[in-house]
Amino acid sequence: MSYVFYPGCSLESTAKDYALSTNAVAAALGIDLPELAGWTCCGSTAAHQTDALLALALPAANLAAASGKTVAVACAACYSRLKLANHEIAGDPDSRRRVADALGADYDGSTPVKHVLEILRDDVGMAAIADKVKRPLAGLRVAAYYGCLLVRPPSIMRFDDAENPAVIDKLMTAAGAEAIDWSAKTDCCGASFSITKTEIVLRLSRAVLTAAREAGADCIVTACPLCQFNLDMRQSDIEKKNNEHFGLPAFYFTQLLGLALGLQSQRLGLQSLLVDPLPLLTRKGILQPEKAVAR
Amino acid sequence: MTTVIERPLSLSTPPAALQALLKSDALSLCFQCRKCTAGCPVAAEADVKPHEIVRLVQLGATDELLASRFIWECTSCGTCEARCPQAVALPAAIDALRRLSRERKVAADPAVPAFNDIFLATVRQLGRTHELALMAAFKLRTRRFSQDFARFPTMLRKGKFALLPRLHGDRAKRQRIFRRAREQRKAP
Repeated sequence: MSYVFYPGCSLESTAKDYALSTNAVAAALGIDLPELAGWTCCGSTAAHQTDALLALALPAANLAAASGKTVAVACAACYSRLKLANHEIAGDPDSRRRVADALGADYDGSTPVKHVLEILRDDVGMAAIADKVKRPLAGLRVAAYYGCLLVRPPSIMRFDDAENPAVIDKLMTAAGAEAIDWSAKTDCCGASFSITKTEIVLRLSRAVLTAAREAGADCIVTACPLCQFNLDMRQSDIEKKNNEHFGLPAFYFTQLLGLALGLQSQRLGLQSLLVDPLPLLTRKGILQPEKAVAR
Repeated sequence: MTTVIERPLSLSTPPAALQALLKSDALSLCFQCRKCTAGCPVAAEADVKPHEIVRLVQLGATDELLASRFIWECTSCGTCEARCPQAVALPAAIDALRRLSRERKVAADPAVPAFNDIFLATVRQLGRTHELALMAAFKLRTRRFSQDFARFPTMLRKGKFALLPRLHGDRAKRQRIFRRAREQRKAP
């Protein structure tokens, strides 16, 4: 299987650690992930809320540039926009015509799009990943958090069970961690309202953090830059506002998988997390104190 | 829980964007079971609840909908559609309402439309978003200077921001996409 990687804008800034750890894990597993040359923004929430054609043409410009290769995506929001654009362009001749007019070239909606989680599950395989684990995450209780955009709408995303997805749980189990059973796997964190309607994010993300803590999780594992940002960077705001303490690190799945594969924490961007994960990781014996990242 | 809208409704033929959804059965099959509202993370404080949106679209109460707060508080999480026994396309309807409320200049919320405009202007200029420029422009536009200000040094130290914007992709092609979008919005 031959891929081109579409990082998306977040992976160049707030989610740089997601880009770093995705590339490190791909290299460790022998997956070739060359970046799509000259990629541009998928339009994200702003496009679909503002203009129906931009919401299709901005992703389509990238999909058309992939020249038949499978587009690998790490950001759940980009993944959603790329797949929804493909669905509409392939299924509605009028949309296809309007996109062709905007791009100056026909695009039929057929470029395959896969999330990195799907590549790990379907193309690499959990057993092959488990074989490469050098540093099992023994004793680490993780809450696998999927959020909205990977799983909904289920008829188009076809990613996993929409109410009880399991791919991150299985991956974490392969990495030697304990994936806990909890109720907020696919609840919304407030997503793109982090800047515009912060109070909604503080309320919804608090519910996710509370559910994880009540289920006995040591940390949360995400696959979306928006979810990770809200659960990690907004955690101190939530604690302050409600006079409570969570102290729950919010990792990208690639960071924990990378640790299990024996990669150095610097190559995984662990120092970028706002809720410091090092006390937890050293307490569990996953990282040695002397190997802690200088900050 | 009956209707929350107590004013007399002003009814009219739904605009074309909503008519298309109604014709495709994407909205017409709703039987008001209210499962959408039950699962919605922001329905508790909504001025118009998800199941009411569907009914009001069917009735042609477009003015009520376009001026509602809820269309800007919806997080686009998609739980309503995923759990709907009739596969009613509420997220698509809410997107159509957001776009129409912008076109008619009746959007009840200033922050989200301002953020979206700045976001898209950045994409048009640079090809990608640039979060630092985006945040700065948004704060200037909405005069929210103090919010999150104390966090900037930490975010810079943690490498959360790319400092300098760069140009990406084919600029002429991008300008064409944005130009066509504007032309098609203006065409009936």
